[in-house]
This record gives sequence, structure tokens and C-alpha cells, in this order.
Amino acid sequence: MSVSVTIKNLKKAFSAFPALQGVSLDVAEGELVALLGPSGSGKTTLLRSVAGLEFPDSGSVFFGDTDAAQLTLRERRIGFVFQHYALFRHMTVMDNIAFGLRARPRKTRPSETQIKARVLELLSLVQLDGLEARYPSQLSGGQRQRVALARALAIDPRVLLLDEPFGALDAKVRKDLRRWLRQLHDKTRHTTLFVTHDQEEAFELADRIAILNNGHIEQIGTPAEILRAPATDFVADFIDDIRPKDGGKVTRLRRAG
Amino acid sequence: MTFSLLRRRLTLGIASLAVAASVGITPALADRTLLNVSYDPTRELYKAYNELFATYWKEKTGETVTIQQSHGGSGKQARAVIDGLDADVVTLALGGDIDQIAKATKKFPEDWAKRLPHNSSPYTSTIVFLVHKGNPKGIKDWGDLVKEGVQVITPNPKTSGGARWNYLAAWAWAQKNLGGDEAKTKQYIADLFQHVPVLDTGARGSTTTFAQRGVGDVLLSWENEAFLVQQEFGADKFDIVIPSLSIRAEPPVTVVDANAKAKGNEDLAKAYLEYLYTPAAQKVIAKNFYRPSDESAADAEDLARFPKLELVSIDADFGGWAETQKKHFADGGVFDEIYKPTN
Amino acid sequence: MSDATIQFPSKTGSEIGESFAVKLVLIAIAVAFLAAVLLLPLVVVFMEGFRKGAENFFAAFSDPDTLSAVRLTLLVAAIAVPFNIVFGLAASWAIAKFNFKGKNLLLTLIDLPFSISPVISGLVFILLFSAHGWFGPWLKANNVEIIFATPGIVLATVFVTFPFVARELIPLMQSQGTTEEEAALTLGASGWYTFFYVTLPNIRWALLYGVLLCNARAMGEFGAVSVVSGHIRGLTNTMPLQIEILYNEYNFTAAFAVASLLAGLALVTLVIKSLLEWRYASELAASRRH
Repeated sequence: MSVSVTIKNLKKAFSAFPALQGVSLDVAEGELVALLGPSGSGKTTLLRSVAGLEFPDSGSVFFGDTDAAQLTLRERRIGFVFQHYALFRHMTVMDNIAFGLRARPRKTRPSETQIKARVLELLSLVQLDGLEARYPSQLSGGQRQRVALARALAIDPRVLLLDEPFGALDAKVRKDLRRWLRQLHDKTRHTTLFVTHDQEEAFELADRIAILNNGHIEQIGTPAEILRAPATDFVADFIDDIRPKDGGKVTRLRRAG
Repeated sequence: MTFSLLRRRLTLGIASLAVAASVGITPALADRTLLNVSYDPTRELYKAYNELFATYWKEKTGETVTIQQSHGGSGKQARAVIDGLDADVVTLALGGDIDQIAKATKKFPEDWAKRLPHNSSPYTSTIVFLVHKGNPKGIKDWGDLVKEGVQVITPNPKTSGGARWNYLAAWAWAQKNLGGDEAKTKQYIADLFQHVPVLDTGARGSTTTFAQRGVGDVLLSWENEAFLVQQEFGADKFDIVIPSLSIRAEPPVTVVDANAKAKGNEDLAKAYLEYLYTPAAQKVIAKNFYRPSDESAADAEDLARFPKLELVSIDADFGGWAETQKKHFADGGVFDEIYKPTN
Repeated sequence: MSDATIQFPSKTGSEIGESFAVKLVLIAIAVAFLAAVLLLPLVVVFMEGFRKGAENFFAAFSDPDTLSAVRLTLLVAAIAVPFNIVFGLAASWAIAKFNFKGKNLLLTLIDLPFSISPVISGLVFILLFSAHGWFGPWLKANNVEIIFATPGIVLATVFVTFPFVARELIPLMQSQGTTEEEAALTLGASGWYTFFYVTLPNIRWALLYGVLLCNARAMGEFGAVSVVSGHIRGLTNTMPLQIEILYNEYNFTAAFAVASLLAGLALVTLVIKSLLEWRYASELAASRRH
């Protein structure tokens, strides 16, 4: 089951360079929030801190009511999707997706039959039926990223974290995947945080957008709110490209149903 | 393969390797072992002598004794014993090296040389010339070594015991034949080393350079080593030239008391060296081209090999090792003064 | 493994502009050079070993001192190689996957045995563990033998072979980065599980190659081992030292027989490596393309 994520006054510095300077953010259960900002704004550090891949200097992250600092990586049960897929190159698609299940301690590990069934189900969900025997090197970029997503979903994550998931793909594939991801989210309703530097992507996909700059959040709001009333000059400038110049509406992927 | 299975297999593999290795390293069963740290050219001598002594010891005590040998340049071996090589006995090329051990480790008294007959030298040798068959360069005596176009092979006196004997024999000849003039003597020695193209670190290295690699016209060599080369390479390849004067080389032996005591080998080590002076051992010594101190049991044909020649001695003519070492071979001594590498 | 990454240009010589003759000459020079520098010495070693017939060749191995040298060499390799696998993995993991102060210093230190003469490596151990060395008196008091005994030889061998595994792994691990391990950890895998199922499979070829090189050097090391050995016959002589002794005792046939065995072991090592590369060629290519 998905949980809400609460980020409280998170600070993190990399040898004198402050990556996060007190970031707070609430993500509701089932919500899809985009972390948008230029490179170096701290968005990836924020995402990795939520995942437990970075250790913040101060501040805290809550999954539901639980302080994430009390949880090991395994206990956090997050689904993390990396920009460059990070698929296990020496494993087939099947083994990649099954990894999280097979890595469980024996007591909680499903049987091999159950694991196979789950993998095939996930492959079907990401529309890659029949490719389970392939190696990552035999797949296209878009296919690889969908495998990575299936792998993350396999452990039934409480939170889905996507780090520039489409950053390495070409424009056409990117657009298709974006739509597909929105549909997938509507179906699975995972609490999702995703990092992007692409304004269009954020505004099309997200329920809410957090705009980051220099390690702090400039504005949080729905796409419509931000477009209507940019909170700072930075935000106004940063979203300038996608503001409708003719007074028309921004294209939004409306939620199905 | 599951992880635990993999781990089990790994552990098993390493364990069996370790077992195989530890079984393999166990030396042949022996009641006692004795370590003799010696210098280069005694390899063959001690191989023969150790067999003789082991038989004798077995008959006398019923114990099986294994004698371990370590060979190398005399100075290098002394250094190893100082650094902790666990020698029960040392049988080195010259007293100076044993003095160094006594001084540095205090493991045996500094007057060790008095503990056995003949200054603790059960055998002696001398320095002779080994030349190519027919002596093409006509080398007869020390004076011929500094003639134009003659290449002399000798190891480095800094590291080799044999080389120091070579040097001192040359010095003694020059002093006698150049009217006792020290400056002229030094000049002769300086000239001599100008004729040396390769300075090996040990006597065996020089022998190999000359006999195997064919470098040089004359090898200044232990007498025993010269005979050995004739035996190994055939008498038709090399001739031995006896100079008019040479030096009595006295390779001494002694027990390293503290080491032998720690290993419970005091009696064995002492007996090992004393037995060297018995007629049976002296016969083996003569057979291995060393001059025996007791000729009574030696074969006549072995003795016939040793020509009579005028020999100076380290104690009578050079005032003993301590003084010689200081004057000639220590840093800043005569050798450093006269020796400049030719290239 | 670097040789396999060379991409042969698909263009033929004529398109690049070299004449056929030039190409032929270049190949001839390369082959002649290889034959003279690599092949000839190897052939000579075996020829010298068999000069007095196969009987004498094999007789060399009935000498107990020689047999003990073979055993000691295998023992030293059997200890030094696993030791270096563990340390090589740990060091390259630390360097490739973490950022920490002193990382460059560690990198330099790993290379030290490459740049330092083996004689000096040996002397360092003398300085540390000999009777008058730093730890000598303590070792003596506790009856621990290191110098002039097997432990010293193992230590010296471990030291000179240290870079072989680490040096093979570091560049590969650096280029692979940490994301696969991070992915595994976020998927709930434990550290060990991640290491055995993600890291190890990715580096196994480099690791194998490093191990083979390390083993060849461990068996062949002369300089450092010579310094700490004490040259006690039948006890502290390894094969390379025994070869020198036999040679110095005018026992050329035996010397070259043992040398042939050592060279043979090296050749077997290379054959194993080639066989593995050939057998797993497709897998290798797949892991590289990614």
C-alpha cells in the first residue's frame, strides 16, 4: 500500500556546497509530485535523500507516521528508477524484474513459481510481453526504462521515486512514455515523486509541482496555480517558455475517470 | 547456486588447499636439524661432508640429523645472520665476516677464532689464476694482469670474501716486488681494477661470468673453485696458473652459540665443526679441492693437485682481519680510494 | 582484458592509404620482434631443459630440495593469491564506489609495489621484522618467525603482487559506477547479496584476469623473495631461487628443467585465460556493449 511522504526541513551539504537548504514538502498518498528545477538545484539530492541513498545533515523524512531514519533501505520499500536505467547487465529481463523478490530473506521470499507469475504480470503491465529472456543490451532505451520501472514495481513499493526517468530518451519516445506513465499511475496509484528539468514534462504529468532553485523550494502548487501566480521572479522566468502567450490553456493530461 | 552453497564451496576449497599445502610443506622426518650458513664455493664440499657427518652421528648417537645449507656471498650471509637467519654454525670465507656477526649480535664471544685449531680454519685455500686453454695472453704472474688488453675477472671486495683474498694477494705481491713502496703498490692495485670489466657480488657469480659467459682473459679465483671449473667444464677448456706468490686463505668456522642453544643444538653444532678436523673429514676436504690442515688420511692424488708456493698470511703479513678491514675495505678505505668504475 | 576491447577497423588497408607492401613489412617486423623477444627465450628454456634427454629432465624433479621448492612456491601462491583477491576487491571497491579523503594516496600506495624495486620491498621487510628490525625483538620474544621463513616469503609475495587484482578492477569498477549496486540496495538486497549477485558478476572477467596475473607473478617473484628467504635449502627456497642455485652449481639441465616447469605453469595460466575468453565470448561482448 502507498503511504504519504512528509519531508521536514531537510538540509544537506556536499563539502561546503549546500545542496539542500531546508526543504519541506508534503506528498499525499497516491499523489504524483514533480520536482522541477535547473541542474544543481538540489532536486536529485532531495529524491535520493527520500530513498535513503543520501544521508541528510539534518531534517527528517516520514513515510506515513514512520520516521524513515529508523528504516533500513530494505524496510523503506521504495521503488527507485534511475535516469540511466541501472539494469543488471548480466541478467535477463526476467531476472532483473525478479531481483527484488529473490533478494528477500527466505521467510518472506515468494516461491519461484509465484515470482515468475509476478514478473510476467508486470511485463504485461509495462507492455513488454515476451521479452523476458532478453538481456538489457538487446533492448531499446524506452524498453529498458520500462523494465526498470517493472523491476521497481515488483517489490510493491510504498513510494515510487523516479530520477529523470526519461532524460536519456529521444523526444518522441519521451512523449509516449510520459503519457503511458500517467496512465500507469492512474491505474496503480503509487505515491510518486519524480525529478525532471523539463517544464513541459512536469506540467503535463504532475498533480503538483515543487520548483527548486539553489537548494530550496521556490513554489509548490498545482500546475494551474503556478501558471496563474508564479510566487517568485525565478519561477516566473523558469516557466516562461510554457506559459500560453496567446491566453490559451496549457495542454494537460487529464486524469482518466 | 544459492549464496550459502556458494560460500560453503568456497570455504571447502580454501580449507582443502590449506590442508594440501600444510601436508606438503612438512619436511622429511628427522630427529634433529642443523642450519649451516656458508659462502658460495663450499656448496659441493658441504654436500659431501654433511653426508659423512650424518652417518657418523647416526652411528654415534642413533639420531638422524638433517643439515640444512644456505649459501651466498660471504658478506651477504653474515648480514643475514645478523638480521636473524637462525644459523647454528657459520662457515664463511673470512674471519672478518664472522667478527661482524660476533660484534653485532653478541651471540658468541669475539675471540671465537681461538675455540678451534688453526684459527678455527679446518681447511685453507689460496688464490690462483684460471685462464683459457693454452694461456693465449701468456699470463704467468700478478704483473701480467695489468698488461695492455688483459681483462681480469674478480668479484667485488665490498661484498665477496673471495674478492678480498684476491685483492690482498695482489697487494702482497706488489708490495714485495715494487720495493715495499705503498704508493706504487696502490697504483698497481688501481691499475689492476682498471682491467676488471665486471665486478660480480660473489665468487660464484664471477666464475659463471668467466667460465659460462666467456667474459675476460683471467679469473682470479679460489684454488678450489678453479679446480671445480676444470672438473665441471672439462680440463681441455681452462688452465690453472700458479702465481709466484699468493695468500693463505683461511675460511673459518664457528658455532653461533645463542642460536644453537635456543634450538638445543649446542652439542650437535660443536660436534659438527670438530668433526671437520678428523682425518675422515679432511680426506673429503682434499677431494673437494680445499687444502686440508691434516693430510694424514688424504688421497695422494688429491694432495698432488696442490702446488707448493709462497703464501703470505692475514695475521703475519696484514696484522689480522680487523686492521685489514679498516684499512682496505671499510668505507673510505684504500679500495674506495683506488677504485673507479671503468664505465 | 583490455586486448579484447580493441575494435578492429572495418576499413581495409588500401582505403586508409597504406600499400600492401608496407602492411606486410609492418606485420613482419612485429612477428619477428615477438618471436625474438618472447618466443625464442621460451623455446630456449625448454630446449636447455631437454638437452640431455627427457630422463635427465624428469630426474631434476626427484631432487628433494627441488621438490620442496615446488611445494613452497605452490603454498606461497595458494596463500598470496586469495589474500590479494580479498584485499584487491576491498581496495578497488573502496576506491571505485566511495569518495573519501586520502583516496588518491591510497591509489598511489596500491601502485607502490609496481614502481618500487622488489629488492627494496624485501629490504623493507628485513627492516621491520629482522632481529634488529622494528618488530624483531618482540617477534623473537614471542617465538614468531617471519624473516628467513615461510611467513616472510608469503608477505613479500603478497606485497609485490598486491596491485595485480586491484589494478585490474579499479578502472572497470569506476567505469561501471555505483548505480547497479544502488538499484540492488533499493530493491531490498543485503550488502553481501548485492556483492555476490550484482558486483561480482560484473567484474568477474577482470577479477579472473587479475588473479591469473597475480598468480603468475606470485610463483615467479625472485627479487623480494630472495632478500627475505635466507636460502635454506629444502626449506626456504622457492622455484625461482632454486633455479638460480641449480644454475650456479653448474647443474644447467636441472636449472632449465625447473625453469621449464615455471614457464609451463605460466603458459597454462595463459591458455586457461584464452579458453575462458573463448568459451564466454558472447557473454563478454554482451556485458561490454551495455
